[in-house]
Amino acid sequence: MKRIEVWTSVLALGIVAGAVSALGQDALPAPSPIEKTLAERATHVTEVTLDKNMLAFASKFMDGDKDGDKEDKAVKEMIRNLKGVYVREYEFDKENSYTGAELEGLRKYFESSDWSPMVHERTKGVAQGTDVFVKLVNGQMQGLFVLDAEARELSLVLILGPIDIDKLSGLGGNFGIPKDAMKKAQKEAGK
Amino acid sequence: MRRTEKNATAWSMVLVPLGIAAIMTPAIMLAASGSGQGFDSVVNSIESRYHAHATKIPFMGLISGIAGIATHGGVRGLHVAEFEDFRGDGDGVDGAEFNALIEKHVGGGWQRMVRETSRKGGEQSLIYVRAEGSHVGMLVVDLDGHDLNVVQMSMNPDQLMHEVAKHHHHETHDSSDDQAAGESE
Repeated sequence: MKRIEVWTSVLALGIVAGAVSALGQDALPAPSPIEKTLAERATHVTEVTLDKNMLAFASKFMDGDKDGDKEDKAVKEMIRNLKGVYVREYEFDKENSYTGAELEGLRKYFESSDWSPMVHERTKGVAQGTDVFVKLVNGQMQGLFVLDAEARELSLVLILGPIDIDKLSGLGGNFGIPKDAMKKAQKEAGK
Repeated sequence: MRRTEKNATAWSMVLVPLGIAAIMTPAIMLAASGSGQGFDSVVNSIESRYHAHATKIPFMGLISGIAGIATHGGVRGLHVAEFEDFRGDGDGVDGAEFNALIEKHVGGGWQRMVRETSRKGGEQSLIYVRAEGSHVGMLVVDLDGHDLNVVQMSMNPDQLMHEVAKHHHHETHDSSDDQAAGESE
């Protein structure tokens, strides 16, 4: 009897620990305070937050396109397996409406051991450029973060889940993900 | 033996109410996040905060029923409220406050998928979704200039896409028939 109780407790603990660890790995991050200040300054803000369930729901609307080519189907398959998509797009009426320190603050979260910088492009003299961070697990890309800072536009794209770099540009234009940022990320990553 | 029976009775007194509570909790949660919140709550909160009056579309229940039949259950539970000449606080709405108001009244189970906002307050779009069994509930709050619309519906994505595909197939079939008839003439 006691042995059963012990095994039940071990099993319950295992389930709880597994759930907590899964949440920690796949959960979308809470918005950074910097995003709030950027939103206050921006003339136009777009926020898209999709977790795994929402992505599964959204991908169902893509199933009807039976005439789509193989590449489209591969992109849809990739979307179906994603764990989360987080997009923030800020448009400003004046140039340089954000600082280098703010960009640094946004990048900070991804400067951990799980994430590796892939692209680090800067424009001399101004706080503009493109950063791409990837999360590699057992040699497979399990996450991508793109920070694209243009003169009057700032885009943050975080994609969690298995990603095929060749299909990356196919995600652009879906779920508020800027096409240009994805094309740029794919081009830079392919170098 | 008697002691074992007493123990069993005591355990059943604890486990039975616990079991009932466990079974009832999802039902209570579902009821709490039902029609009392979502659409009605959001519309009422906008009406009272901005002193505006929503125009409800007449025979919406009938329209919703027809939509359900026409799409074979693809779309149901349609609710629409329209605020004409919506002025907000006179010069639009504060995006952050508007978002917080909707967030507060939308109720449990709803997750915000999209938010689009402009600083001057003329454009606000909020899209919420929630799981409703085989269906997905969608609540859209859209302010464009002085037109504010609140729409809620429940969709079955599989059924809806099946209907769309069927319609698309018919259309393609008809156009190829027309083309063939034109060529024979």
